Amino acid sequence: MPETVLVIGGGPAGLEAARSIASIGARAVLVERRDVLGGTPDESSYAALTPRMGSAQEALDVLRAGVDDPNVDVRLATTLTACSGSVGDFTVTLSGPTGESTEQVGAIVVATGFQHFDPGRETQVYGYYEYPDVITLPDAERMLSDHRFVRPSNGEIPRNVAFIQCVGSRDRRLGNEYCSKVCCGVASKEAIEIRRLLPDTKVYIFYIDMRMYGYWENEIYWPAQEQHNVNYIRGIVTEIVSKDGRLLMKGEDTTMGRPLEVLMDVIVLSVGMEPSRGTRDVAGILGLEQNKYGFVSTPGEPIDTVSTTVPGIYVAGAAAGPKDLEDSVGMASAAALRAVGAARGRSGAGAAAVR
Amino acid sequence: MPIPLNVLETRRETRDDRGSAAPPTEDVREKVFELEARGEWQVQRVPEPWIGVTTKYGRTKKIPVARTWHHKSCGQCGHIPGYSTSIFWLIRKLGLDYNDPRDQTSCTAWNYYASATSNQGAQAAVAMRNFGAAFESGYFPMIHCGTSYGHYKEVREELVHSAALRDEVRRICDKLGKPFVMPEEIVHYSEWVYAMRGEFAKRQVLDLSGIDVTVHPACHYHKLVVEDAIYDPDVYGGQRTAVVSAVVTALGANVKDYSTWFDCCGFGFRHILVQRDFTRSFATLRKIEVMREEADPDVVLTHDTGCVTTLDQSQFAARAHDRKVGVPVMSEAQFAALAMGAHPYRVAQLHWHNTEYRPLLEKMGIDWRERWREFEDDLERLKGDAKAYMTWEDADA
Repeated sequence: MPETVLVIGGGPAGLEAARSIASIGARAVLVERRDVLGGTPDESSYAALTPRMGSAQEALDVLRAGVDDPNVDVRLATTLTACSGSVGDFTVTLSGPTGESTEQVGAIVVATGFQHFDPGRETQVYGYYEYPDVITLPDAERMLSDHRFVRPSNGEIPRNVAFIQCVGSRDRRLGNEYCSKVCCGVASKEAIEIRRLLPDTKVYIFYIDMRMYGYWENEIYWPAQEQHNVNYIRGIVTEIVSKDGRLLMKGEDTTMGRPLEVLMDVIVLSVGMEPSRGTRDVAGILGLEQNKYGFVSTPGEPIDTVSTTVPGIYVAGAAAGPKDLEDSVGMASAAALRAVGAARGRSGAGAAAVR
Repeated sequence: MPIPLNVLETRRETRDDRGSAAPPTEDVREKVFELEARGEWQVQRVPEPWIGVTTKYGRTKKIPVARTWHHKSCGQCGHIPGYSTSIFWLIRKLGLDYNDPRDQTSCTAWNYYASATSNQGAQAAVAMRNFGAAFESGYFPMIHCGTSYGHYKEVREELVHSAALRDEVRRICDKLGKPFVMPEEIVHYSEWVYAMRGEFAKRQVLDLSGIDVTVHPACHYHKLVVEDAIYDPDVYGGQRTAVVSAVVTALGANVKDYSTWFDCCGFGFRHILVQRDFTRSFATLRKIEVMREEADPDVVLTHDTGCVTTLDQSQFAARAHDRKVGVPVMSEAQFAALAMGAHPYRVAQLHWHNTEYRPLLEKMGIDWRERWREFEDDLERLKGDAKAYMTWEDADA
């Protein structure tokens, strides 16, 4: 019987962790609370991936195919309810469609991901729960995955679309001081998709500053402006109200140093990342330290991005903080290696050894 | 794919499924109790019975039903006396105990917000002096003025976070012979009106279903220490403060939306003192005209002194320029009192209001001509009687 690692979460990080574990001859028990694999990209119907516009669903299919392996035991509609023991000898209780069961596992990988920030908690007045035409990045993604983009209130094609950046991120008032990393790129990618679908629609992005790290600068940011005529405006939007059946956006153009009032048909809130409920719950069950935002702490950073405060338990993907897809799958492989090493009783598999 | 017609309902249901996240701001009330445990001050508890209401991030705030100490508003008493009279009339109609003190000190917040006069210690000392006076009376403070309310909440934050300020103010309170007391909650009268709206509706005598209302939320109520203001999922999806709007709905009138609801009334503190023309223009061009154009209300309701006076008393200037103004303005307390049968002159004292309100009274089913005749009779009696002023017995005579 090969060493067994429990992987919690069936999104990209969990799928890649389980695949990696199996690929080096260990056994993975992969539990997912939903009845399908794919995690947030599936649940939120992601369309195209940033920055290269590849199909998100095709990428998920590749990741799902990776766990079609006799050494990966996939348990859908299943959650972790209890855990005891220590590295090399954990006893976990799983609750699934057939009731509760226990498993002996040598290590655990937490890949429970993030949830999108709830714009109703924003201190600015964006009216997400008041106006149907105020939507979020994932709402836009759902429409774009169907190759359409309309005003949810009436189904009409919008004349003007605005994205508002940093909704729920970089906001001291809310307590979310961190940057969510992907929103600038995703908003720019969606802006390009809208312009491709609707050439007569004007698209604006209102930002504090654009954070297009790495290749996103040349692959997304400049093409958005130079090839697709997306307008980037540095400004703070403070309020959205209804006027004449459209949305009046108020704020300040901080480049020009003057107030801003413009009518829009659809406003997309670039909501940031917060730890998912699953991340909070699982961290509690496993006794993992969480940082002040609720993400799982990784005290070995920067050289150990996956070890948690509990030996034998590792984290991958956005359960540990804002991550893009590349970060998530990279962490997943690292976590898988360390977890299998810990299950095999190898020293140096935990954060303590790194520190 | 068809366009879902229940976009907002679906969003709200999904939000419920996610569960509410932890509030992003600290609960200063916990710190208030921690300081009590360390012997720094006493905390005056909200008296029983109280009503739990929900604030912006889902916390519960206790609103006392009775035994309230009424911290009145300078501007209400001076310019719109029917405002505070209506608050007291509502309390009396419900048969509740209250204290109308004569030894309240002005909060001085206007000076602070308008011109940054005074200083931190003096500001905090005035607040704590008034809280001490309320505590001594055995009644719980209820603040009529939105500015005093917002300011006292900022003062509470400062006192909680500054040991030096607490020491300074404690010494001042000792000199004054006042106990050093922080109330468990800082309560605005409009929160009490919100909490009691169902009781008003039970006692309502007028049908207000034909009355359209626009609401101006007072900046100093919902923009200062934002996490302590009342929000309700049933009022604008929990995205705007629920006070006033929920009262309008409970009384069967119709809340009408307009695009400049978030804007200041125009009072602006500094502006009303040194740029009054700006105030007049802002109040009429950004607020009243927009309301008329977009919602055509019968009345504007708000819940603060400066807002009622500015929105009401600025309209005369715009009228002279043939602008589209002419919407009566009053507080939700006056509106609720009228709904329950209060006299429009003896209690609500609408004769102190500037903008024409009589068509509104007619639409509400109030015979203002007969009520005015009664009021003139009252004044004649006062001229002849030994009585110098009207009393509560006269109010419902």
